[in-house]
Formats: sequence, C-alpha cells, structure tokens
Amino acid sequence: MADESAATPRRDPIKNPVGNTAAQRRRQNAVSVGKERREALFRTKRLCRVGVSSDMDVPDDSDMMIEEEQSILEAQTSSAVEELKNAIAFQGKGAVQKKVNALRELRRLLSRSEFPPIETAITSGAIPLLAQCLSFGSQDEQLLEAAWCLTNIAAGRPEETRALLPALPLLIAHIGEKSSMLVAEQCAWALGNVAGEGEDLRHILISQGALLPLAKMMFPNKGSTVRTAGWALSNLIKGPDPKAATELIKIDGVVEAILRHLRKSDEELATEIAWVVVYLSALSPVATSVLVKTDLLQLLVERLATSNSLQLLIPVLRSLGNLIAGDTYTTNAVLVPGHEITDSIILALIKCLKSEHRVLKKEAAWVLSNIAAGSVGHKQLIYKSEAMPLLIQLLTTAPFDIKKEVAYVVGNLCVAPADGSGRPSLIFDHLVSFVKSGCLRGFIDLVRSADIEAARLGLQFMELVLRGLPNGEGQKLVEKEDGIDAMERFQFHENEDLRIMANQLVDKYFGEDYGLDE
Amino acid sequence: MMMMDNQLQTQTQFQCWFPVLRRFGPDDPFFASGNIERELLAKQVALDFTEEEKQQLRNLDDEDSEVICPIVGCGANLRSLVEFEDHYNARHTASCSVCSRVYPTSRLLGIHVSEAHDSFFQAKVARGYAMYECLVEGCGVKLKSYKSRHQHLMDKHNFPSSFDFFKKAQPSKKERSKKNQSKQRNATFNTENEEGSGASAMQVEEETLNGLVSAVSKLTTSDSTPSSISFGRRHTRGLTFVPRVVQRETKK
Repeated sequence: MADESAATPRRDPIKNPVGNTAAQRRRQNAVSVGKERREALFRTKRLCRVGVSSDMDVPDDSDMMIEEEQSILEAQTSSAVEELKNAIAFQGKGAVQKKVNALRELRRLLSRSEFPPIETAITSGAIPLLAQCLSFGSQDEQLLEAAWCLTNIAAGRPEETRALLPALPLLIAHIGEKSSMLVAEQCAWALGNVAGEGEDLRHILISQGALLPLAKMMFPNKGSTVRTAGWALSNLIKGPDPKAATELIKIDGVVEAILRHLRKSDEELATEIAWVVVYLSALSPVATSVLVKTDLLQLLVERLATSNSLQLLIPVLRSLGNLIAGDTYTTNAVLVPGHEITDSIILALIKCLKSEHRVLKKEAAWVLSNIAAGSVGHKQLIYKSEAMPLLIQLLTTAPFDIKKEVAYVVGNLCVAPADGSGRPSLIFDHLVSFVKSGCLRGFIDLVRSADIEAARLGLQFMELVLRGLPNGEGQKLVEKEDGIDAMERFQFHENEDLRIMANQLVDKYFGEDYGLDE
Repeated sequence: MMMMDNQLQTQTQFQCWFPVLRRFGPDDPFFASGNIERELLAKQVALDFTEEEKQQLRNLDDEDSEVICPIVGCGANLRSLVEFEDHYNARHTASCSVCSRVYPTSRLLGIHVSEAHDSFFQAKVARGYAMYECLVEGCGVKLKSYKSRHQHLMDKHNFPSSFDFFKKAQPSKKERSKKNQSKQRNATFNTENEEGSGASAMQVEEETLNGLVSAVSKLTTSDSTPSSISFGRRHTRGLTFVPRVVQRETKK
C-alpha cells in the first residue's frame, strides 16, 4: 500500500537521489515532528508512489523522490496539465498514446516528489481533464494513469480531496466487475482517500452507490486488490453514521468473505479486513449480532493468540472488544466459562497484557474488564488465571491510561453482578486477595489524579475495602496508604459528586469515633 | 458552635462500584492511540520516521491529555499528571500547624486558623460582631455565624449544601493517642471542678477548655503542638462551644 509525505519547509535545490540523504537532512533540520508532517500521518489517506501494477513504468530507486525545488516542480506541473489538455483535444493518429504520455508525466510529478504539487495541479485545471480521461471505453493504461493522478490529489489537504467531486461517479463506475483488476484497484484507492476525508464525502460516495462494488472487491481469495478494497471499505463505513456498516453486513457474500480472509489470508490482508470488522462492530448492532453468531470470534481469538504483528493485533483485539461490549450474547453464549474459546481468549489477552506495546496493554485490559463484568463464573475464571499477578503489577506500575483500565478489571472482579435490588454484593475472596497484594495503593493513586473518572473508581474501590474488610481492617489499611489524605483533597474539589462521595466515606468510616479505642 | 446537621449530611447513598459493559464509539479518544499506531505502521516506510519521531507522535496522545487543576478557584493548566501532583503539593497544601488540616490557599488557611484556633475571634463572635468571612475571595461579606455564612455561600455563590468548610480533619495516629492521654488526665480534673451533665460531655468540654488555655498561652510561640482541638460535629452530643471568658463566669 502506499505511503504519504507532507510538506515541510523548502529545501536547497540539490538534485540528489534521495532516500537516505533526505532522511538525514530531516533529522538535522527537525528535532520535533513538524505539524504538517504530523497531520499527514493522521489523515487516513494514502499516497500512491509505486502504482498497482508491476509492469508499469516504475522508476528505479535512484529516481524516486527527486528533490526538486518547489517552484520548478510547480512549473513542470502546470505545463504537464497544459500538455494533457492538448493531448485530449488532439484528434489525429496516436491520440491515445499522447494522452497516456501526458498522464504519465503528470502522475510522475504527483508521486515521486516529496511534496507533490497537488495545489498547482488543481489550479491548473487537472481535475476536469482527468475526469475526461476516465470516460467509458478508454484504454486501461489511460484509466490507470488518470486514476493514479486522482488518487494522489485526493491524498492531500481537505480542500484538495474535495476537488475530486466531479470525478467520483466515474471512479465508482470503474470499480465494477467489468473493469480490469488493476484499474479497479487504483480507482478503489482514490475512493478510499476521498472517503477518508470526511463524513459528508462518505455520504456522497454511498449515495452514489460506492458500497456494493467496493464490497464485492473483497470476494477474491487474495491479491493486493482485495487489500486495497478492504482499506477503502473501512474508510467508507467508518461513520459516525452507522447506516453504511449496517448495509454492508447485509450484502450477500460479505460475511463469508470476511470469515474466509480471517481464517486463511496472510497477515497484511487480514489486517485490512479486521479493520472492516472493527467498524462493523463499533457502529452497527445489526452487524454485531450477525457476526457473533458465526465463528468470527473463534477466528479472531486464534489470530490474537498466534500473530505477532502489531498491525494485525490492534484491529483484531479491538474487534473482539467491540463484539464483547456490543452484545451480551458474546459473553453469555459464546465465551462461556468452561468452553475452550473462553480459556483461549483469556490466554490471548494475557499475552497482550505482557506485550511491550501500550495500545495492546490498554485495550486488552479494557476487553478483560468487560469479561470481568460478566457472571461470577467469568470472574472466577479470570481470578484463577495467570492474569492476576499481571493485573496487580500493572495497577501499581503502569502508565496512567493502562492503570485505569486495569482498575476496572480489578474492581469488576470484586463485585458480583447486580441482582436488581440495591447494592451489588462483594466477592470477598477476590477483594481480600487484591488488597493483600497491595492494590489499594494503586487505587488511592487514582483518587489523587486529576482525572474525574479515575478518582471515582478509586473512591468506589476504597468503599469496597472499607465496607468489605471486617474488624476495621479496611479503615486501617486506607489510613496506612494515605487514603484519608487523598479523600480530604476533595473538600475543595470542583466536582460535587466526588466531593460528596469522599465526604460520605470520611463521615461513615473515619468519623469522630475513629481510632478512639486504640 | 455547631455544624449544621441536616444541611450538611449527604442525602444520597454512596454510588457503589457497579460492573457494567463499557462500549466506545470508533472515534472515541480511547481508541486514538491505536489509530495513530495504525497510521504509523502503514506509512512508516516512505515517511521514514525515526524511532524518536515515532515516539513523539505516540506521545502526542499524552500531550492532549492535559490536566486542569480541579481545586476550586485554581484552574491551572498542567501538562501531565505528574506535573499536577507537583503543583498540588506546592500550591494546595497549606496546612494548619495547630490541627493539621490542609487548605488549598493560604487565605483559607488563615480564615480557618481564626475561626478554629483563636479565642479572641470567638469572643468577638459572642459579642455579636460579624466575624465569619465569606470564603470567596473578593466578596468581602462577613456574617455573624458559621451557619449564616454557609447560607450566604449557598445563596450568593451557589455552593452546595454539602460543602462544609469546617469539616473535621482526621487527626493522625499520634494526635489521636495524645487525645486519649489527655482525656485520661482531664478525668481527674473534671471530678474536682464540675457538676457536669455527664462525664463524657465534661471530658470534651474540659478538653476543649484545656486546649484553649494552652493555645492562648502559647500564642506567641508558633510551633506549639497542643492537643488537637476537636470541634465536634454531630457526634459531640450537642455541646456548644462556649468561649473561655464566658465559661469562667458560669463556673462560679
């Protein structure tokens, strides 16, 4: 797939083959990552540098990323567009070749330089010309080059992406089954960039009928086309309107294709498909309820357990998280304590908790916290697993965001599901075990943090300890860990709920009579 | 001088821990770091990020989680939770050398010391002066009783009724054992001097009295460690604080 660069301040016009030299210069010039570079990264758009076909005129490495002075590049772009205009107008012999050459020149300018002259291309009038080159019946090579140009224009800034509007229906038309794979892939890429720009553009693409043909591109067993289509599809359905996700799951063959790819395909392809599942499960209850009744969960757990690719693990883990959080069927009917899949998922989550990657640790803790919110059987299963020492350690030493998620796991493990009336009851053994392992300190740290949610968790856990441990042990422990001090901070805290909660605890457990009988 | 029982008592039950399924939308900030990682991994080859740059990009997420100090009236911007902790310890832990209560500003600490540990303050109150300052800086209003000030805070400054400036501080273990010892000492003193309404009530009163005596007598030495004065709340069986001067008169 492609990559992207961003505009950075202008450089010396040294015509050197780049690659390492550019990187070195970057390191010399910039200590921190520039804002535009950051923005380029965060856009869910991808620049196409190498094209989809291996036969195409792919420049060798020394040619790639030639550093041109920006103004030279822009001038060249303007004349390339002018050339294209002439080529289109030309009626005589060799007209097609003329067009292809002109397109190729423009495409090179838009894909090899580090900061493609997108704006110039647009202001010179490239878009309507490129749209003309997409007309039905055109040669594949012409379609390919034109779509490639549009792909890279769409990878730019928001207004640049939007400039593609006139060409959208044509791009959509060319991802149909009659097109060659390469043409379809390149057009899908362009559409993926457009969809990644924003909700309104997604809406337009969907109303123009992009969903169905793009979905069908996932059906073949393998190939970069399937991968590109998967990526573009994930951009198209990402909402926040859940309608596209719900429509997608209803298309015949989609569920089967998803399962097939997650079962058999290589990790790169499985990654993009997993992202489709992420959005399906995050946005559409309909999709979730369909998916949890297939063997998707099993396939995801297997991938989670066996893969070592962070790229793949992230969407797989998140899909599992979404499916568990989105439908109680998952925990009640599939991940039943005693079933093999349940043991497997806990092991796989433990693997993620042990990972060095923050994202995996945090999201795995989140998933585990939702399993821990299930039945007493689930809680016991986790309690008896190897997760326990990990949780205890993470609660004390992990960075704040991970700590908070682990806090949810621990707390959920100590409280039985509510039976509808009054306070949910404590699971005494679990609570005592955690307290004995020193977890209270971690919770009191949360109380001290400025994060409202974390502070609430901390206070709620403290209440469990104060309520649950007999003979005033809870009070002693809390005092020992400076819990009283932490609670008194809330006297002057702006959040009323927290103030009340802290006051309630201090009143009830550390009132006038506290400690008088020592 | 008493606490307002009913107003300050919390009306609702404690919001206990309740396990629930937590779900996040795809654009929720919770998923931001994972999304960043996706783009980093997909684009790193051509963008050729150094490890340092990648780490900076990941940490951007953290930068966004800036902290605003939640102590009333502060609102300081802090860049991380560690910074917040430092800030809190530096700015919001003005503590009373008499009773160890902690206040978020030196002004509030000063108000506390007057109201809690200054017998002359109480003497003026008894004489009808408006001594209780409004806690909001810049307001300037003074009221005649703790209760009326509390009312003022609620009426004029939207303080909740649960806000209790004079909330009892948790004495440290050391102080608690001291309190117990001095209670035992006072017991003998009591029986000689008082025809009180109950031994325990007398104990508290005497203790209060003793505390005051020692406090006043030590007014010039700032680092005295008198026994902790316990201005009770609803637990103190309705004993009203009576200034030392007045009390002497009633003894006769």
